Amino acid sequence: MSDLVNKVAELLNAPVDLVQRSAEARAQASGVSVDDVLNSWAGGESVAASSAPAAKEEAPVEEVKEEAPEELVEEIEAQEVVEEIVEEVIELKKESSLAFVSGVLLIGIFTFVFAFVIPKNQSISAVESSLNNSVNVSSEVLKGAEIYGELNCQSCHTQNVRTLIPDTQNGKVLKNKYANEALIRNVGTIRLGPDLSTNATREPTNNSQWLRRYLTDSSSVNRDIPHPNYGFLDDSDLEYLVTYLLSLGEINE
Amino acid sequence: MKLKLIPKNEQELSKLFVLIFPLIVLLASFTSFLKDAYFTFANLIPNNKIFNYGFLDILNNQVIYGLLFATCICLSFTYLFSKSLGRIAVLFPLLFLTLLGLVGTEFLDIIFSFFYQDGINLTGSNSLLIILKVLVGFGLFGLATLNLLAKKENSIFASAQFIYGAIVFYFISLLISRSELIVFTDSLMISSLHTSSLKYVAVSFIFLAVVHFLMTKPLGATLFNKTLTAISFWGFLFLLPWTNFKYYFGSVMPNWLENVSIYLSLSLLIPLLAFSVNYVKTIQTKEDEGNKSSSLMSFSVVIFLITNLLHIISSFENILPLVGLTNFQNVINQGYIGSLVLAMISFVYYLIPKLFGRSVKYSRLEDLIFSGFKFLYPVLLINNFLIGVNSGYSWNAGANTGSPTIYGEGFNILWGVVGINYSTNTFISLLLMALSFLFFVSVARSISSGDVTTVEEMVFSNE
Repeated sequence: MSDLVNKVAELLNAPVDLVQRSAEARAQASGVSVDDVLNSWAGGESVAASSAPAAKEEAPVEEVKEEAPEELVEEIEAQEVVEEIVEEVIELKKESSLAFVSGVLLIGIFTFVFAFVIPKNQSISAVESSLNNSVNVSSEVLKGAEIYGELNCQSCHTQNVRTLIPDTQNGKVLKNKYANEALIRNVGTIRLGPDLSTNATREPTNNSQWLRRYLTDSSSVNRDIPHPNYGFLDDSDLEYLVTYLLSLGEINE
Repeated sequence: MKLKLIPKNEQELSKLFVLIFPLIVLLASFTSFLKDAYFTFANLIPNNKIFNYGFLDILNNQVIYGLLFATCICLSFTYLFSKSLGRIAVLFPLLFLTLLGLVGTEFLDIIFSFFYQDGINLTGSNSLLIILKVLVGFGLFGLATLNLLAKKENSIFASAQFIYGAIVFYFISLLISRSELIVFTDSLMISSLHTSSLKYVAVSFIFLAVVHFLMTKPLGATLFNKTLTAISFWGFLFLLPWTNFKYYFGSVMPNWLENVSIYLSLSLLIPLLAFSVNYVKTIQTKEDEGNKSSSLMSFSVVIFLITNLLHIISSFENILPLVGLTNFQNVINQGYIGSLVLAMISFVYYLIPKLFGRSVKYSRLEDLIFSGFKFLYPVLLINNFLIGVNSGYSWNAGANTGSPTIYGEGFNILWGVVGINYSTNTFISLLLMALSFLFFVSVARSISSGDVTTVEEMVFSNE
């Protein structure tokens, strides 16, 4: 039996298990044994000739038999079976684009909902239920915060004191609060320069004259650490920026 | 060399992106050099609204993760995605316009940032343009989906799977960057997920798409195991978007999100192993040595593996305070984008004879380019790694001795440790810019004066 299946599989250049299943299906449909089907595929007696298929199927087979020699009929039938198997092989290999696309989209939606929408709403709800839940600042401070954001100061400076040891020794941990967009944007995500969250409570950065000088000509204050000069800012913008920097400390209260 | 104004199929469109890729790499390396120079020598060179570190950092970010990445998507999409379809793309004229729109809007974003600096938002994009970007991104996502559903081929090539994943997460990153800033947490949430969906998932998936192609067909190798590819695809797709939250451990984000991020980052080992085994086993079956640029592809895989290993190692709770919020995060970003660019360079050298019918002469110039990138890029990563880890140690040491280096007065101590590394970064950026220029010259020389060879015929039929 297994030799026969192997022989047919080799003959048809198809996987053994596939040949076995196809033979079983054909045997069931034709009302003959699996061995008969395999024998016929291996070049033995035709299944159609030895079976008793339904009347509708029988007629054309008999017609063919009358018109063509038996070998030819067997050849045609074997070819049909090969085509059937080949189709099945292709069908097995075929990947469903719909399943793939759905899978990727599901992961995309899952990520968007669980890694973004839910924690974002959770954070807002937590702020809603807290007592000291918003940051109130003057319009000058806000203007300064906008200039700070436009200059992209947050690309080097954070205002983000964490609950971890290196941060908590000397800073106030950033609390989640409602705030203006400009203030939120300035929190920063990478700390290449010093953290500025308590800028207004420390020497010498709590001095407006020192800040003005440092921002316009940093090397006259500290030659060792490079810092961009913002001498190109007009006086009012520089004043707003200094006002904002002097407010840092209160914001994190 | 013929370049049609309106291409008829993906192969003709690929030519356009092969041509602009070296130019954009050159632009990206130029802005990187300017940014680094204005960081290291900020108080020595004149500053103005354009030439200051803050603006140049945004500009560099837009050029690399906007324009350069969009070009990589377009080139990989036009050449590799079509191989999965077995036909000319459905609605090809619309696809052509969408891909041009993708590169075009990123280019406009860069131009507009010079004039409208007030409109720069968290992700460095002009608010009006980002709506346009979202529309174009949605168009690309829709067309990619439509084409996948209408494909003629029986299977979806691994490369096409990765490209589709990249497009979906690129679109998600655009959606996220439009979100409102209401509470302080939003700043970290938006920045974090935007980074992981764009700089981690989308970038690394285009890299994986290109590598899955380069490690098989050009080398005459057979993909070792499709199941391993599936594990790496679904594993990276599910895990990578969550991996950036951990760097804000101890911040105002929900604690569960930080913890989930830590555990899922550790799980990255599974898809990483699957990819590594698949790559090594596939390469072992190669029948052809490929061209000299294949070594650059192999090297890009090494960079990708190291980046992921660093990503995994940094997930341990006792290491996180040392690396979180530091330059270490830049190492991860640079690792992913670097591996993509190196693989794309190898891909471009493969495509020149196939698309333009000109063979590439691998002379000393090309040897210099490949060796230069192989030497300089790891040095850049190591240098930034040292800055990140030294900063973290300095913060801890400063906090323990009562002289915090996080704040102004103690920062001199920290700068004394990492200042030299920043200067080295600037020097490396200068050399990388020179290499990018040589790469541009090499591609231009090959296309214009390489020996004539056979153009690859792709079977396109919508019958």
